[in-house]
Amino acid sequence: MKFCLFTIALVLGLKILAFAQECVPSWFEKLPEVEGVRLAVGYSGKFTNEAGAKSAAVQLAHKNMTKQISIRLQFDIEELADGRIRLLNPSFKEFYEGSILNAVESNSSVIDSTITVDGYFVLLALPAIEYLPIPNACDKPWNTRLDWIENLPQEDGYVYGIGIVARYRNWVRAWQDADEYARFDLGKNLQVNTESIHAVQRNNRTTIESVILKQTYDLTINDATIVARWLDTANGVYYSLCRAPRP
Amino acid sequence: MKKLLVFVLLISVALFTVNCGGKQPKAKMDDIPEWYLNPPQAEDAIYQAGDAVKSSMALAKDAADARARDAIARTVELRVTNMMKDFMQQSGMGEDAEALEFTSSVSKQVANTVLKGCRIVKREMKVEGNNYHAYSLAEYNLNSLIEETLNEARRQKALYNEAKANMSFEELEREIEKLKNVGQ
Repeated sequence: MKFCLFTIALVLGLKILAFAQECVPSWFEKLPEVEGVRLAVGYSGKFTNEAGAKSAAVQLAHKNMTKQISIRLQFDIEELADGRIRLLNPSFKEFYEGSILNAVESNSSVIDSTITVDGYFVLLALPAIEYLPIPNACDKPWNTRLDWIENLPQEDGYVYGIGIVARYRNWVRAWQDADEYARFDLGKNLQVNTESIHAVQRNNRTTIESVILKQTYDLTINDATIVARWLDTANGVYYSLCRAPRP
Repeated sequence: MKKLLVFVLLISVALFTVNCGGKQPKAKMDDIPEWYLNPPQAEDAIYQAGDAVKSSMALAKDAADARARDAIARTVELRVTNMMKDFMQQSGMGEDAEALEFTSSVSKQVANTVLKGCRIVKREMKVEGNNYHAYSLAEYNLNSLIEETLNEARRQKALYNEAKANMSFEELEREIEKLKNVGQ
């Protein structure tokens, strides 16, 4: 009996941990656009004290702002298939300037922050300002499924990328990875080097397709901003949308 | 009693084996996006679809995207080869060995070098058992293709000259620029 109760409590606890993020600040879901000011979001999970949570969220916001200003992305993916096995090996590397991070740390300010049951969220502005009127800023539940999840926005002068992750126990890590994947996806939509060899062997009964595929890029992208996020609370899927001006 | 135990044990082992070695759940036809089965056709763009089944959603997406882009690259190579062959035939040097080499070289380079602006315009993710099945639709604008072909043809000018061409290089450039309707 005790074991049953323990199991039920554990399952319920894990479920709550996994899909707890029911309410977020509106600027976390959709980043507002303000003329002449760059905005970036930072977030952290549950901390034993508020100061620790805020510090972690602000640090992440500084990094996100730095990556937004300029980031070098190196991506490559290799796929080998010989009819029996299929191996996929993606590699993601990103670099950002320490000097830009220092400048962001000294010239930016937190213009809004909120504590929810899950963690701490901050909105960072660059250059530093004391107050910024943000339209419709509030804590709210997630919107219903948005169109950009399935159809990439088409806007003249801009390029977009989507990051998707699922089955994460830690929502902070999930959003960080979704954001990173969105940046890399944007790079792929800009330009990618492709090489592949396909060979098909057929006999009367079987067809064996062998493939060697390689795609790479090495790009420095400026102004790549995470402009929207959406959480599929029913299935625990995290989506981030990144946008950059087309060079 | 012993026989019953052995029987129950055997049944359990059999069920366990069937479950472990059982087939992966396959995509139902109704679940497959229409654009995956019949990619859109357009005069000014190439569309190709790709799919992948992985236990990680991010990996499934990356693999499906890579396969869709690879399909675009292979279509591009074919289109450029046809485009260049048409031009060579029109200029009366279609079967010339050097001309064929030039055609093949330009098309391979265009396809294998850089796909600029090839983007994933549609995407769907389905759950199949413990796996994710990602479907991606890639779009490549034909204006980018013409631009890339011209650039590559310019880069390979030396090879073209070796082909003992009876037309000027500028003429080739003009002809390629005329081929705005290569999507047909």
